[in-house]
Amino acid sequence: MLTVMFASFTLSNAQIKNQKIVSEKILGNCGICKKTIEKAGNMKNIATVEWDKETKMATISYDAKKTNKEEVLKRIALAGYDSNSFLAPDVAYFGLPNCCQYERVSKTAISEKPKMEMKAMMKEKIKSSENTKPLSNVYSNYFELKDALVASDSKSTAVKANDLLAAVEKVDMKTLDMDLHMVWMKILKPLKEEVKAITTSKNREDQRFQFVDLSENMFKLMKSDKLETTIYLQHCPMANDGKGANWLSKESIIKNPYYGSMMLSCGKTIETIKN
Amino acid sequence: MKRVYYLLFTLLITTTLFGQNVVRYDLHVRDSVVNFSGKEKRAIAVNGQIPMPTLTFTEGDIAEIHVYNHLKEGTTLHWHGLYLPNKEDGVPYLTQLPIEPGKEHLYRFPIIQSGTHWYHSHQGFQEQIGMYGSLILKKKANDPTFRKGIDDIPQVPIVLSEWTDYNPKNVHRLLHNASDWFAIKKGTTQSYAEAIKAGHFKTKINNEWKRMLAMDVSDVYYDKFLINGQNESQLSQFKAGDKVRLRIANGGASSYFWLKYAGGKMTVVANDGNDVEPVDVDRLIIGVSETYDVIVTIPAENTSYEFLATPEDRTKSTSIYIGEGIKQLVSPMPKLKYFEGMKMMNDMMNMDGTMDDMGMEMSFQKMDMNAVMYTEISGKSEKSEVKSDKEMTMNADMDMKKMNSDIVTLNYAMLKSPTKTTLPKDAPVRELRFELTGNMNRYVWSMDNKVLAETDKILIKKGENVRITLYNNSMMRHPMHLHGHDFRVLNGQGEYAPLKNVLDIMPMETDVIEFEANADGDWFFHCHILYHMMAGMNRVFSYEDSKPNSLISDKVKAYKKLQAESNQFHFMAENDFATNGNDGKAMLQNTRWSFGTEWRLGYHDEHGYESETHIGRYIGRMQWFMPFIGFDARYRKLDSGEVEENIFGQKSTKDKRIQASLGFNYTLPMLVIFQAEVFHDGNVRMQLMREDIPVAKRLRMAFMVNTDKEYMAGFKYIVGKNAALTTHYDSDMGIGLGINFNY
Repeated sequence: MLTVMFASFTLSNAQIKNQKIVSEKILGNCGICKKTIEKAGNMKNIATVEWDKETKMATISYDAKKTNKEEVLKRIALAGYDSNSFLAPDVAYFGLPNCCQYERVSKTAISEKPKMEMKAMMKEKIKSSENTKPLSNVYSNYFELKDALVASDSKSTAVKANDLLAAVEKVDMKTLDMDLHMVWMKILKPLKEEVKAITTSKNREDQRFQFVDLSENMFKLMKSDKLETTIYLQHCPMANDGKGANWLSKESIIKNPYYGSMMLSCGKTIETIKN
Repeated sequence: MKRVYYLLFTLLITTTLFGQNVVRYDLHVRDSVVNFSGKEKRAIAVNGQIPMPTLTFTEGDIAEIHVYNHLKEGTTLHWHGLYLPNKEDGVPYLTQLPIEPGKEHLYRFPIIQSGTHWYHSHQGFQEQIGMYGSLILKKKANDPTFRKGIDDIPQVPIVLSEWTDYNPKNVHRLLHNASDWFAIKKGTTQSYAEAIKAGHFKTKINNEWKRMLAMDVSDVYYDKFLINGQNESQLSQFKAGDKVRLRIANGGASSYFWLKYAGGKMTVVANDGNDVEPVDVDRLIIGVSETYDVIVTIPAENTSYEFLATPEDRTKSTSIYIGEGIKQLVSPMPKLKYFEGMKMMNDMMNMDGTMDDMGMEMSFQKMDMNAVMYTEISGKSEKSEVKSDKEMTMNADMDMKKMNSDIVTLNYAMLKSPTKTTLPKDAPVRELRFELTGNMNRYVWSMDNKVLAETDKILIKKGENVRITLYNNSMMRHPMHLHGHDFRVLNGQGEYAPLKNVLDIMPMETDVIEFEANADGDWFFHCHILYHMMAGMNRVFSYEDSKPNSLISDKVKAYKKLQAESNQFHFMAENDFATNGNDGKAMLQNTRWSFGTEWRLGYHDEHGYESETHIGRYIGRMQWFMPFIGFDARYRKLDSGEVEENIFGQKSTKDKRIQASLGFNYTLPMLVIFQAEVFHDGNVRMQLMREDIPVAKRLRMAFMVNTDKEYMAGFKYIVGKNAALTTHYDSDMGIGLGINFNY
């Protein structure tokens, strides 16, 4: 008896009340798109979406008392798919799997362009600085390594550490000033070991542990060098199991490499290195 | 979602009198019915509108605002952020008496400043149900601070707010009774089952060991969030290339909002009605009752760009699209990770309930405690790298990461006044220090562990500089608002420290503010989260030798009334109708006092009938200790001659036993309540009890054991706000199934 009641209850509820059906164009490519679009649009007992990958048309049926077409299309756009009403956020679009990166109308071109320029500019920057200072490559690789830790990306941390190691080995000690040379000799061995340990470790926590001493050595180095840009020594009292740890940054804004997003802004600048 | 009726009868009469413009508004305050969420609910509309109409003046005008109260209760209007004579400030029982039902009241004051401000009811909970509106003060054209490209571009008032279908009085009552119904609605119960699933069992244990309830960044569940009274709307009058100045006021009663724009960076040009040096940001958080002016640009043709306001708990959002054509969305704020936040809170919480900043000297919103609860950069990246095998996507990923890590979030240290804001140099300095304190479990919010009802007015002298150090030693952020003055926030900008009238202060932060005491009368200083204000997180600054206020004849009596407003008694009651008897309790509590009675009523004499009444007072900041006096009455028919014995060997019959007692409750780690009681016949009883152990989202467990060899264990499944299904085993009454109703 109870089961019958329940069954009839679910049956009557399975259909959408006050149903309204519309057809809307939604950009997309493949079967994965179909799944994502429909999942994003569907809402139990309130809206269902069926998308055809050939025609790019979606049939949207919804409860007109509880929702509207715009709400459904907005959810789909937030999943990464443009329609005639909404354009997806760039982050959502670029987050789609490869096969789903449909061609965006005009918008894409506008947002892609400055990015390309930025990249080219950055490359040039790196090139131009290459010749000027013997250690600048070491520094820039250190900062990239730090950024990878900020991003909590252990794989790219290992890659960046490798680059740093290469840069360290490439340094021609003879080109260094006397004072700097002395510091370099002192820190070279531990520095190399720390960087090596980061390259071999896949564990984020181990990498960060090594980064504590690495940063100390790097600080000694930068302090003795004549730098072109201002560098900030920053400190987080919580890192390194509450013992506190430092790192170096090119910007005064705090981006903590020891916690990544967990506590991105924890810390403060304790010394500014200027020349 | 639509307002039920719009009736506009704003009369705007401008007359020129002695060279000064008198600008008149007529405001009719009426009960109304709205439907924001699909249900018709009571609200208050002014001139038929929610929000209230935007009032616009120019510096130098005289404002003349006629308020007609058509409600069945009193009301007042407060002009938030304005310098004005004390009796125009609109705080009931402090600067005036409430405007009585059916009466008219005139607010008349000269406009001596410019900027984005707002106005709202300062009476009871009226601000929550519609009484908020924008108040725009324009600069004169010949103002030396007039900024080209900022003060002369198109502008739109934006009022943020939230809507709950519950009566706000009931919301307040539920908060005081530590109801977790809002957490269930928001999906933030943080139960043991959820903790285990998230791999945070230890975190949860640690959290309860430190006697904390589930944590959240906001307390109330809202049904809708609104921009200018609508969840979604569009400003299609603007075209590609246009710059628009949004004059944003947060009129929400308890919600902070994250602001984001789909069309690029926003330029912040003013805060709390005071100009700041333009600063470009990707997002900012606007505290309750703050105002920000931002300039946005429409970057492309035939596209409207989403301006997104997301409440801090990120349960929902509200948007306004700027421009015409297809709507470009901005990516929403990712969901909060509550257990990560809980873990960090554990680290920073001392065993005695105070906070430990680990020597970090935090201030000016620079370190966002909530930052631990959402992923900004990591998280997604590793997964997408696995997915993508082509370099193209790798690059896109890297770019995304770059984009993310370069997000600029506004904080107070970035605000800089374009003009010097220094105070008179030779004035005497008055130093004050407040520690913001609170107790989430009983929803007591205070300063220096005192609510308004426990403090006198703070006297200040005209002509002195008042410097206030604020330290937030509570678990929540508080937007502290000072009436009638702007204060300098000492944020490292030296002589160009920004002027504000609301200071958002996050847990464990220390901030210093200072202002010139240049007015007269009584000025409210309070947390602008409505439910914190109504819980007593207030103070009054009173100028010595003030002129009498013609609107308040008996200031002493009025202050008592004001104190009582924020220390009201809250009633709660529940009864479990079970197969083996009735279990229930009723309580009446305010900040410190508790009157409670519990009963267990069997269905026949062998099961017995008993009730315990306790009158107690909560002691200490965290209120873990409550001594009480009690009265017990029991009747139970025992087999003739049978005598019960407790574990101390003390004997009693439950047969018609009436006893007075002395005792205390103490909250132990894991939130277990230890109760010790001595009865007038010398019998002693000790008891351990915990109710509402969050096992799963809606499942609660309870247990009790005492030295009378009584014990109880039970489960409760929460069905709705006021109902639950229960099962329990009781040493007196045996096993039972029941339905629990609570109010």
